[in-house]
Amino acid sequence: MSVLFEARGLSRRFGRVQALDGADFDIDEGEVVALIGDNGAGKSTLVKALTGNLAVDSGELRFQGEPVSFATPQEASRLGIEVVHQDLALAPHLDSAQNMYLGREIMRPGLLGKLGFMDNTTMREATAKAFTELGSAVRSVVVPVGAMSGGQKQSVAIARAVAWANKVLFLDEPTAALGVVQTRNVLDSIKRVRDQGIAVVLISHSMPHVLEVADRVQVLRLGRRVATFEAEGTSVETLVGAMTGALELNQEGAA
Amino acid sequence: MRTRTALSSTAAGIAAALTLAACSTGAPTSSGSSGDAGGGSNDNKTIAFVQGVAGDQFYITMQCGIEAKAKELGYTVTTQGPQKFDPTLQKPIVDSVTASKPAVLLVAPTDVQAMQAPLDQAAKAGIKVVLVDTTVNDPAFAVSQISSDNVGGGKAAFDAIKQAKPDGGKVLVISTDPGVSTVDARVNGFEEAAKGDSAFQYLGVQYSNNDPAKAANLVSAALQKDPDIVGIFATNLFSAEGSATGVRQAGAKGITIVGFDAGPNQVKALEDGTVQALVAQQPGVIGEDGVEQANAALTGGSVEKKIQTGFTIITKDNLDGEGGQAVYKSSC
Amino acid sequence: MSTATDDTRTEDRPSGTIETSAGHTSIVERVQAVQSAWILGVLVVIIAVFGLMAPSTFLTVGNATNIAQNVSIWAVLAVGVTFVIITSGIDLSIGSVLVVSSVVAAQVMERMGDQGWGTAAVGLVLSVLVGIFWGCFNGFMVAKANVPPLIVTLGTLSIALGIAQILTGGVDVRSAPTVLQDNIGYGRLAGIPVISIIALVIVVLGGILLHKTRFGRYTYAIGSNETSARRVGINVDRKLLQIYGFTGFLAGIAGLLSLAQYGTTTIAGQSLTNLNVIAAVVIGGTSIFGGTGTMFGSMVGLFIPAVLQAGFVIIGVSPYWQTVAVGSILIAAVYVDQHRRANEARGK
Repeated sequence: MSVLFEARGLSRRFGRVQALDGADFDIDEGEVVALIGDNGAGKSTLVKALTGNLAVDSGELRFQGEPVSFATPQEASRLGIEVVHQDLALAPHLDSAQNMYLGREIMRPGLLGKLGFMDNTTMREATAKAFTELGSAVRSVVVPVGAMSGGQKQSVAIARAVAWANKVLFLDEPTAALGVVQTRNVLDSIKRVRDQGIAVVLISHSMPHVLEVADRVQVLRLGRRVATFEAEGTSVETLVGAMTGALELNQEGAA
Repeated sequence: MRTRTALSSTAAGIAAALTLAACSTGAPTSSGSSGDAGGGSNDNKTIAFVQGVAGDQFYITMQCGIEAKAKELGYTVTTQGPQKFDPTLQKPIVDSVTASKPAVLLVAPTDVQAMQAPLDQAAKAGIKVVLVDTTVNDPAFAVSQISSDNVGGGKAAFDAIKQAKPDGGKVLVISTDPGVSTVDARVNGFEEAAKGDSAFQYLGVQYSNNDPAKAANLVSAALQKDPDIVGIFATNLFSAEGSATGVRQAGAKGITIVGFDAGPNQVKALEDGTVQALVAQQPGVIGEDGVEQANAALTGGSVEKKIQTGFTIITKDNLDGEGGQAVYKSSC
Repeated sequence: MSTATDDTRTEDRPSGTIETSAGHTSIVERVQAVQSAWILGVLVVIIAVFGLMAPSTFLTVGNATNIAQNVSIWAVLAVGVTFVIITSGIDLSIGSVLVVSSVVAAQVMERMGDQGWGTAAVGLVLSVLVGIFWGCFNGFMVAKANVPPLIVTLGTLSIALGIAQILTGGVDVRSAPTVLQDNIGYGRLAGIPVISIIALVIVVLGGILLHKTRFGRYTYAIGSNETSARRVGINVDRKLLQIYGFTGFLAGIAGLLSLAQYGTTTIAGQSLTNLNVIAAVVIGGTSIFGGTGTMFGSMVGLFIPAVLQAGFVIIGVSPYWQTVAVGSILIAAVYVDQHRRANEARGK
């Protein structure tokens, strides 16, 4: 497999805090990579830097081997890179179909479309189809998102990102606030997204979840990548050790 | 398809609301025509009084006069008034009164132009319309117009200032809103008299929009510019109350404020010495005359098209006697 | 909670495991969820009560057309205010913008002297341009300068009215082309006031714009979650500018309608127009926190105070009670809205 998207030596300083300190990152096509690290290790900052939500002081991004830079999230979107933020960024009063297509509505053909009329039927049906493909627990696309459970909201956000991410999907703590069944749904969704050939970057604190769905695990500490593991055969203890620095590391660069 | 449903649902909803508002019973025309007949017949003994603004003692006193005279002649009275002296608020009230088909409508129009058509309509519906206090551009539809002789009132106000300040000086007018016929007439009467007297310098008129706070600000600002103002004529209730406050705010002394109208607060200001004289209208008389003229019109008696009522000048000295009688009431 | 969502629920039932309609909720639940339905019930009850108390005077065509005529100008303004409040904004300046638009139009039309349609058309164009100018100014200050809409429009409320007074010296321009007054202000078409027909057309178009077009969708999105609207690439600033501009445009139209109805520029009038329109929109279920609201609700919300006032006047209730009643309904409506919101937050 070839490297799809990689970062080399990303640095970013906020005042006196070195949030990223020469961080590296890479993901292959169709791969699930977990990004772990203790609080303040720089996970969220790295994700922002990789998705056009944050400018870096130094370092470079390569997408399919070509150097790229993203001034806005929309520029990352154009390459098929989407993020599901921790706050999900859904409009609670709109239903899931409306959220799914917010900002990228399907318009009616012809004059009506030019006048601003939307093709709600197509959008609803496509949304329902996307939920089915993800095995989502959402049972209706016309209920306002604000009235949904946390897991349902998460799956709407994931479905929305997947609909536009044909290359890389970033998920920032997707299971943090979820119950057992809902978490299971999200993990299943991640596998299905991967099966569609989309690379998934999963940021999570839950080591068992990480080991279950990820192909590789990259560990961040103090703003840099300190280790990369193949998920197969790696234990939770190893990961925790790498995160906290208790484990002596020699795997860096193995990937 | 979806567009059509949206359109039709919205349209149907609004149409439903209109229809509901319109006529839920099936006999609108018949009730309408019987109402028309009732408007002119003698068994309808209802008087509707629409004030210029609700809660103003001038109109309350007028209401008292109307109710007293109506009782004497066997009529019942309902009184309505807008929250503000504002034709856009008064028109809906007049429209509804017209729909309720009283025999008589006594009304103080809030705008000479804007209230023309609604009152025309009331008269066309067979209601005897009497204009009290204020009027409209073309009052031909009205059976009678009764108001104070406002030009005379303005002159009287100037005379009151002249009495207190025989040496002359700068005089200012604080009025309510332009375009209110009675108030404009008071201002004109005052201006005429002030310009006719070389000892006095007329500073012009400022508009308080019937807001005491604004009147107070205008007066204190005017005193900043011309600290030597000797007299202020405040053309109505709120302007006078505000002017008194303004003078107090500016810390000025020795200014003769003449108020128009005589609400309890102005009388208090008069007693306190903040206002030196009040030109009191006779709203009770206006109301009584209005009912009398309407009754004459209904019973085929002779009707006077236009009646002008007089004034009482109230000062501290006559407050116990004649002046006290002329004070407006807060309730009947 | 939009009617658009609501009617498609009963209509769309494609096959598949996930419902694209809301068949699983009961009709009662859905009706309760729609505040405009609840408030429509209130309106019906009010009409029924007055109808019983004064059947021969309240339930008449004349009274109905009066009410329809008297809410027409407010209805035009309410269309814009509904958009603005859905974005969680507010526009206090509509009454003043109406006045200044009608002043500019009236002064030019007076100078033209002619009483025909040509003059009226010039007046309409001017009135609308002045309205758009003030609306865009509001929108610019809200979107680009980040001044809270309450403050911006409180400012323009004073400025626009002041300019109207400067232009006229405070004296109303009491001339409008006779074609305007005869045909629009007091004209009837099949017994219905022309001004009400114009208002209805504007309301229906506004409803379509809000509920069926992308512009309307973005209006909800901005009010619902502005950050997410920005994240998905909606140009929120430009939308806000357009929405406030649109409200100004409608105030310009209302200015000409006011001129047609009153034959004067009502500079001292329209003093409570902004508050009455905002109250109507809120009574109709549009949340001041943004994100929800319907055009239909706003119209029902307009009729409630209007019908109450007409009814009270007809049965002879003191004017003081009218304001008490309208104020109470406003608070009750917002209370119900909050209650519903709290239920929703609990996940139904």
